Amino acid sequence: MTLRLSAATYRYAGARRNALDGVDLELSAGTVLGVVGPNEAGKSTLCLVASGLAPVVVAGRLSGSVTIDGRETTDMRPHELAQRCGILFQNPQAQLSGTAATVFEEIAFGPRNLGLSLSTVIQRIAACLEALGIAALADRDPARLSGGQAQLVALAAILALEPDFLILDEPTSQLDPQGTRLVGEALRRLVGERRTAILVVEHKTALLDRLADRVVVVDEGRIVREGPTADVLDDPMLPRHGVEPPPRVRVRSALTAAGMGTPAATDLLMAELAS
Amino acid sequence: MAWLSRQFSTRVIVLIPIAIAINIVLGYTVQTILKLPIYLDSIGTILVGVLAGPIAGALTGILSNLIWQYAPVIGGGTIGPFAITAGVIGFLAGIWGQLGVYRSRPATGRQLILFSVVAAVLVVALVVPILGNPAYTNPDIGGYPDWVYTAAVVIAIVAAVAVAAFIYLRRDLAGFWVAIAGVVTGVAAAFVSAPIAAIAFGGVTGSGTDLLVAALRQGGSDVMSASLGQGLFSDPIDKTITSFVVFIILGGLSGRLLARFPLGERLVRDRAA
Amino acid sequence: MRPERGLDPSVANREGAAAGLPAYVLRVPTGTYRSLNPFTKSVIALSSAIVAFGVRGWTGPLIVLALTAAIAAIAGVTRSLRRFVLATIPIVVSILLVNAFLYPGATDVLFTVGPFAATGTGVTVALQATLRVVAFALSVAVFSLTTATDDFLADLEHRGTGRRLTFVVGSAIGMIPAMASRATEIVEAQRARGLDTEGSIRRRIRGIVPLAGPMVFGALSEVEERTVALEARGFSAPARRTVMRILPDSGLQRALRWFVGLGSIVAVAASIAGRFPLP
Repeated sequence: MTLRLSAATYRYAGARRNALDGVDLELSAGTVLGVVGPNEAGKSTLCLVASGLAPVVVAGRLSGSVTIDGRETTDMRPHELAQRCGILFQNPQAQLSGTAATVFEEIAFGPRNLGLSLSTVIQRIAACLEALGIAALADRDPARLSGGQAQLVALAAILALEPDFLILDEPTSQLDPQGTRLVGEALRRLVGERRTAILVVEHKTALLDRLADRVVVVDEGRIVREGPTADVLDDPMLPRHGVEPPPRVRVRSALTAAGMGTPAATDLLMAELAS
Repeated sequence: MAWLSRQFSTRVIVLIPIAIAINIVLGYTVQTILKLPIYLDSIGTILVGVLAGPIAGALTGILSNLIWQYAPVIGGGTIGPFAITAGVIGFLAGIWGQLGVYRSRPATGRQLILFSVVAAVLVVALVVPILGNPAYTNPDIGGYPDWVYTAAVVIAIVAAVAVAAFIYLRRDLAGFWVAIAGVVTGVAAAFVSAPIAAIAFGGVTGSGTDLLVAALRQGGSDVMSASLGQGLFSDPIDKTITSFVVFIILGGLSGRLLARFPLGERLVRDRAA
Repeated sequence: MRPERGLDPSVANREGAAAGLPAYVLRVPTGTYRSLNPFTKSVIALSSAIVAFGVRGWTGPLIVLALTAAIAAIAGVTRSLRRFVLATIPIVVSILLVNAFLYPGATDVLFTVGPFAATGTGVTVALQATLRVVAFALSVAVFSLTTATDDFLADLEHRGTGRRLTFVVGSAIGMIPAMASRATEIVEAQRARGLDTEGSIRRRIRGIVPLAGPMVFGALSEVEERTVALEARGFSAPARRTVMRILPDSGLQRALRWFVGLGSIVAVAASIAGRFPLP
């Protein structure tokens, strides 16, 4: 089960520059890949291209290849892509259908579109509510939820299509700390229990620190750094690419700069911060 | 059939409810909060027509009126039966969209001055049939009272200057075509609304322009003519203003965004960027 | 759109209940009139509207008004109708004044007010037109007050309306409150900046662009994201959409719909042909 981009280059219709330039990327089952980079670097484009929605839904030209389990995304219709690769954006309310009276019906939206039998639809809804721990929200009005709750509902709605891959474009950027925590925990559970492969674009590097196995840095449509999370986030050139390192790295740099960077002291502090 | 389903891509299906909500909320706000004698409840309809074609535009107009009639909290009133008019407005907007009426046409120098002047002349010329037509000046047949003539002339001159200035200052010939589209749409709307108002509402519309209806009747016009006379006065003004508002809005949207709509290509062909 | 507790679901929607749909999803409405199938209520409203406008004379609008008042009483929404009645006042005033005093060709003067003479013909027309307008507005209002939007749309979809039309209507109605509060915010901000919503026309016109602009651009900016989100939920899948909520219906209601629907069409046809027996 692999999502692979090979030399993927993408230009939006009517644009003058490539938004993505020769990107090579691989996402496999049960792993979490973090994506960081400055604004307008092409991270959102990467999400759309990886999920196949670009160029299938969002007009543009793709060179190179994007395959899901060997099959080109350009050969698939949007609803086939949706069942393989789910995608979540920043603004929860823009992703909810706005036509459901309860969270239950909101999550039912996707499976119903596919024409699944009613019992299958109900099963899937129950499974998603369970997986994200939001069964208590099932009878609530989606328009009246907090940001974090709404984002979880949007995530559940995507998961109801049972995709193997999950792509998240800054899912916590419009959430408060509690909402961020809710979403982070839910994602961790997904990876552990369902072996979902996750690609998550985030500015909150502390979140990636805890969640991601590997991290790539995207700048000007290209991947400029790639590797295990700890290595990439510790890399001192990170700020040059408009990425703020996680607190533990910043604290350690500050201590080192102040001449207090003894291994014992920093280890103690990092252990404190991690708990 | 493929042409029809292209008009209703998912993107258009997303745009239409947004346009309907814009129609209703703007129309409601202008009517009740700003209390202006114009409607501005067709901006969404015309926008959809220009971007997605005649059927989509007509559907937007019709649904806007029906939903507004039915909607909880702000519903009610008498807007429902005029869904037919709204459908016509949306349909025409789709035609203008196909013809590329709202496309920017940068121009300079003599061509620019020529179009500005011709536009001004045409606007003023619109009033001439009212002034010259014996049916309107013969007191026995009935027609507009004096104050309407003065008002018509004043409005025509102001509109002529405004349209000419718009074309000249923006260095864009599109204003010329947008004005024509607006007036034609307004005239069509008047002709479609008159029988609806006459049959369903005793010849009035419930807005301030009913003073005009009263004045026309006092001059001797029958119910239908009075309705039509009122419509021909207010609708072209309202729809032309709305058309220019839509034109300005379209100008502010990025070419990338527009190109994704079925008729978006026709809007961006000659754009500088 | 708060879900209400309803009838015993096993009575109303056996398949849904058997499959395990919770009661807050089945949401079967209670109340003599409210529990009628939404399609039935809409046929009643539509037929009322057709008769109100299409049957000339007094009988048509009066019957519709009586029927609407009865339904409102049964359903307990008479109080809420007041708002809808108030909304018709501007046009009613216009209709009454313009037609009573200025009806073309009428000579049977009843009384005069200054230079204006009210004619019998004019007053008749004015009153009839008023009745029609009020009858129409109220029959739609009663429908709106006794039928939840998502019930109506769920039923329509069950009867074969495509998912796209259902989505368009549902989404538009759902969007109005949020957009209305955005508009109010903008107007308030403009007021704070000096826009005079009570002042001269020129000032108010100048207030439109700062209102229309942000509102329209803000709304349009969401189009792309919403489109992608819908596709990501399989919106354009070719399958027949799974039916989830089924509102109860009955043979009696079906017969009622045919009776009312055909009856209204026949009445209008008779009226147009000049053969309607009542005044």
